[in-house]
Amino acid sequence: MKIKLLYGTETGNAEMLCEDIEAHLEGDHEVEMANLADTDPADLAADTFHLVVCSTYGDGDLPASAQPFGEALEADQPDLSAIHFAIFGLGDSSYETYNQGSEKLAALLATYGAHQVGDRVIHDAMGGDMAEDLALPWADARIAQAADLFAET
Amino acid sequence: MPKIAIVGAGPSGCYAAQALLKLDKTLEVDILDRLPVPYGLVRYGVAPDHQGTKAVARQFARLFERQGVRFIGNVTLGETVTLDALRAAYDIVVLALGLSKDRPLDLPGGDLGGVSGAGAVTRHWNDHPDEAGQLPHLGNRVVIVGQGNVAMDVLRILAKQEPDFDGSDLHPRHTDHITGAGVAQIDILGRSPAHLAKFDPVMVKELAKLEHVRFALDGLELSEGHEDDPRVAALAALPQDVPVASHEVTFRFGWTPERLSGTEGHVDAAFFRRGDEELGLSCDSVITAIGFDSHIPGLRDDLLARAEDAETGVVDKGLYLAGWFCRGPRGTIPDNRAAAQALATRIMADLGTLTGAEKPGHAALIAAHPDLTDYDGWLRIDAAELAACTDGRVRAKVADLETLLALASGRAPGSATPETEG
Ligand SMILES: Cc1cc2nc3c(=O)[nH]c(=O)nc-3n(C[C@H](O)[C@H](O)[C@H](O)COP(=O)(O)OP(=O)(O)OC[C@H]3O[C@@H](n4cnc5c(N)ncnc54)[C@H](O)[C@@H]3O)c2cc1C
Ligand SMILES: Cc1cc2nc3c(=O)[nH]c(=O)nc-3n(C[C@H](O)[C@H](O)[C@H](O)COP(=O)(O)O)c2cc1C
Repeated sequence: MKIKLLYGTETGNAEMLCEDIEAHLEGDHEVEMANLADTDPADLAADTFHLVVCSTYGDGDLPASAQPFGEALEADQPDLSAIHFAIFGLGDSSYETYNQGSEKLAALLATYGAHQVGDRVIHDAMGGDMAEDLALPWADARIAQAADLFAET
Repeated sequence: MPKIAIVGAGPSGCYAAQALLKLDKTLEVDILDRLPVPYGLVRYGVAPDHQGTKAVARQFARLFERQGVRFIGNVTLGETVTLDALRAAYDIVVLALGLSKDRPLDLPGGDLGGVSGAGAVTRHWNDHPDEAGQLPHLGNRVVIVGQGNVAMDVLRILAKQEPDFDGSDLHPRHTDHITGAGVAQIDILGRSPAHLAKFDPVMVKELAKLEHVRFALDGLELSEGHEDDPRVAALAALPQDVPVASHEVTFRFGWTPERLSGTEGHVDAAFFRRGDEELGLSCDSVITAIGFDSHIPGLRDDLLARAEDAETGVVDKGLYLAGWFCRGPRGTIPDNRAAAQALATRIMADLGTLTGAEKPGHAALIAAHPDLTDYDGWLRIDAAELAACTDGRVRAKVADLETLLALASGRAPGSATPETEG
């Protein structure tokens, strides 16, 4: 199974987190990483498991680096029924729109048929947890869950 | 190996280092700051009750902890070291000095006692050593001039009550001071109608959660036809019908400040104009939040005037400007990130054309100035602040510069329980 880490960020936290996940997975897996800003919906591939990390900005909106991707999805309406992803959100519970960016992105991917593997896990910038303490176990667990899916094909 | 000095450890300096290392991780990057603590306005501007926003510092900490960037504190450009000396020691110098001087209210009475700038007030609440001694004058009735996000931060801190600061790092001496002043009435005025005001709508939504505040709106009708604007909608949703309130907050739109009056050198009223209407508000203090200027205007004006590309921040090959010092006092933390990436690309291109002898880098600085502090020094300050933290707070910041320096150098007596009063 190929793994692609995709991040949507505004101040860089999601990117740093993806670097941590990449370092954690490297060696055991074939991993690539990309900014959603440089990703076209057509780049998503059926033989790849997508681990998406996305923050929230403005008032529950996608962060700047994920916005063009979100717009491209809506414009192109691609068929993503062969695509698998898992999602991790970054947010701040002092906003009413807590972690809605990752929620919106997951919903958008699902709208075009992509399959979400496992639940979304979210990090709270106001909380005491380090994001990597939540995200590394999330990545391991989702990869384990996805292994069967990719073994079948 | 080329040597790079970034002066200013705020977001723009840190993002510049990050962007440079992304392009070439073997670069030797030093970040210098006049204080023994890094992160600039993340520590000293961003509101104490917005810890989530301050958490971006965790990202910057990696530069020093994992990416080999050296922090050199207690070095003031223009005092400890000249720009020429820095340029002689490093191949590349990036100035990311911020803009910390409050733009003055240039009106009759603007220099009366009881008139403070929002930058100074927020530095004080954030325990910046420069403002450690000055308690801002407050009183019952406070007038805030300006309606950007900084003005909203000031308003929110003044309108909150002690329990609302749970989870913040606002030192209890500040809440004691605010409570002691008995702030009860806050007017916040701006020239623009609400739909053109500068604040972000989420800042108003955050205020709506304060149950002890009654809100009033003056001039929202100037935004007729803009009811769908997120700012106007957020304002209209503020609770106005609050039977028991300890604080009254009035937003007033479309008012241009004209003059302040005073008795015995202290402000007692602020006057505004909107077309033919005049408004006089009696008050105990005025806080201006109308933007920032450079604390070293001569240097900045000169550099911008001779810059090859002022927009990107290129003065010449080898000298660059970043962040607010480059672009002016506008833009949030993420804006500095995007700009730093463009600047880093340009610096890398210029680096390729460098010729000449190997530069000494930090060795030259450290030899000449034995009092400089380092990243381990900041970690000692950080540990002491975390250890001294009281109930309901996440940190007890040290405001006194001597104590900070003593902690940084590891020579603080009893450094686990630092004295925080200067
Ligand atoms: C009160 C306030 C609240 C804010 N809140 C937010 C917020 O919640 N969210 C957000 O996104 N943005 C916020 N901003 C904007 C944000 O802080 C700026 O975009 C950002 O800090 C600009 O970064 P900078 O590195 O250019 O400047 P600064 O952060 O000001 O950093 C400049 C650094 O240079 C150092 N320095 C200055 N002079 C010298 C010298 N002569 N020698 C050596 N070092 C020197 C200073 O000590 C400082 O560390 C706020 C701004 C203010 C003023
Ligand atoms: C201006 C601003 C607006 C934000 N809005 C939200 C929001 O609506 N909901 C949320 O959960 N988090 C919000 N956040 C918090 C960020 O999502 C959080 O800090 C995250 O760690 C940023 O990750 P990034 O650096 O990858 O963009 C906001 C942060 C800022 C500075």
